[in-house]
Amino acid sequence: MTVASAVPASPVVTVENLGKVFRPPGGTRELLRGRLWRDPVRALEDVSFTVAPGEIVCMMGPNGAGKSTLARILGGLLVPSSGRATIAGHDAAAGAPALRRSVSFVVGDERSFHYGVSGRENLRFFAALHGMGAAAIRRRTDELLERVGLAAAADRRYREYSRGMRQRLAVARGLLGDPEVLLLDEPTLGLDPVGARDLRVFLRDDMIRAAGRTAIVCSNDPTEARALADRVLFLEGGRLTREVSPDRIEAELGL
Amino acid sequence: MRTAAPPLPGPVTWFVRVLAAFVRRELVAMSGYRAAFATRLAGFAFVVVGLVFFARFVGASANPHMAAYGGNYLGFVAIGFLATELQQVGIAGLARRVRTSQIMGTLEAELATPAPAWMVLGGAPVYEFGTAALRSALYLWAATVFVGLELPRANMLTVVVAVPLVLAAFIGLGLLTAGSTMLVRRTNPVSAILGSLSFFVSGVVYPVSVLPGWLQRAGSVLPLTHVLVVLRGAFLMGASPAAVSGSLTALAVFAAVLIPLGAATFAYALRRARVDGSLTHY
Repeated sequence: MTVASAVPASPVVTVENLGKVFRPPGGTRELLRGRLWRDPVRALEDVSFTVAPGEIVCMMGPNGAGKSTLARILGGLLVPSSGRATIAGHDAAAGAPALRRSVSFVVGDERSFHYGVSGRENLRFFAALHGMGAAAIRRRTDELLERVGLAAAADRRYREYSRGMRQRLAVARGLLGDPEVLLLDEPTLGLDPVGARDLRVFLRDDMIRAAGRTAIVCSNDPTEARALADRVLFLEGGRLTREVSPDRIEAELGL
Repeated sequence: MRTAAPPLPGPVTWFVRVLAAFVRRELVAMSGYRAAFATRLAGFAFVVVGLVFFARFVGASANPHMAAYGGNYLGFVAIGFLATELQQVGIAGLARRVRTSQIMGTLEAELATPAPAWMVLGGAPVYEFGTAALRSALYLWAATVFVGLELPRANMLTVVVAVPLVLAAFIGLGLLTAGSTMLVRRTNPVSAILGSLSFFVSGVVYPVSVLPGWLQRAGSVLPLTHVLVVLRGAFLMGASPAAVSGSLTALAVFAAVLIPLGAATFAYALRRARVDGSLTHY
């Protein structure tokens, strides 16, 4: 299934016939059978869609549908087995620094920060990986901590942060390089309903709409999709099966 | 609204910034673990004091094998241990960095930044190597001040010539083991084997002259053997660069072979990891 953006502008994200097959290395059982690899796992198959500038597209699907694999390919962290994906004109498969400046992969995984240092120090570290000098690092991290509402807690150790604060810090990290496209993988995972609602409003209104960004949100939460997305694409078994409008999600899912 | 992105810095400036970020983060983190630091320091002190008594015991026997080192067993064994630690950091530093970052979960977030993967993965081991070299120098200084280690004839010119070659040889080994660790997806047994083999045949705690000829020849294919010849020659016997030129040349050859080979293995492993997704799994 190919899903094109309804917005008449040249797309900022283009995915064409994307496929990904993993070949897990074999264990003792496979080796005894004379095989080096387990059976291949088809994570994505023939996925095509486009996203127009300023759009928020939610990628929904059950666990194991291929959402995170797709996000990692678009973020330049994984090479597709077939097909092609471009973001702001950069080939995702090349994974070049120019691609990773245009797109920011915001992982909700709270283990992705150093627990022993403060939120500010964590952010400064990642700012250096963006190539910023000392003055730019100070300016940018202070600005982002203020914007995500963590300025007062910036010097507390990361391990002392609540789940919501950790998610906000992950968002701040994603904005360090001022990317054109945000890839948000389960951005409100594990948050309480009020915290999740507040973070969604903040992301949609301040971080995406007001900044003129484009976003792809991977989630299996209908509330999240309805709150954030302009369009919802369904991935099932690695295939793009349908597109629905956000207000029809529950009906589509039979909820 | 978004602003126009500033141009990316050149690779050298960028790497220096990444390195500085690793140093800063590790120092800040370490300041929060003062007890661990104190424990490590105490552990080292116990080892040094133990070596002092061991050196007295060995020195009292006027061992003829030690004549080539001025009979200074404390200096001999201290340099042996420090060089071994440097080798272990070199061999295991990058591999451990990959494993630890995978397990901690920081690696994926770091690789998602614009910084090239070699910069992200290279920053931490360079920091570890730098601190290990600095620690070694401090240990030697402390041993001379507090436990009577005598290095009156040290030839610093030889040390200055040797240190870059020593680091280059060990970094080459490190790249090779890290690349193979990524390919086999588990802690590489090569580093453990190489570590114990070097301890055995390179002469860490005894001179290689006590080994049979064939084991001495086997030891000559290991970088640590030559590192020990050069550093002990320089520190204990005041050897000039010309006096240890054979081992300096061997270290240069190790560096010239191991660095390109290690870099190629590491680059291949990185490409494979982006294909099979193993860099962010454990």
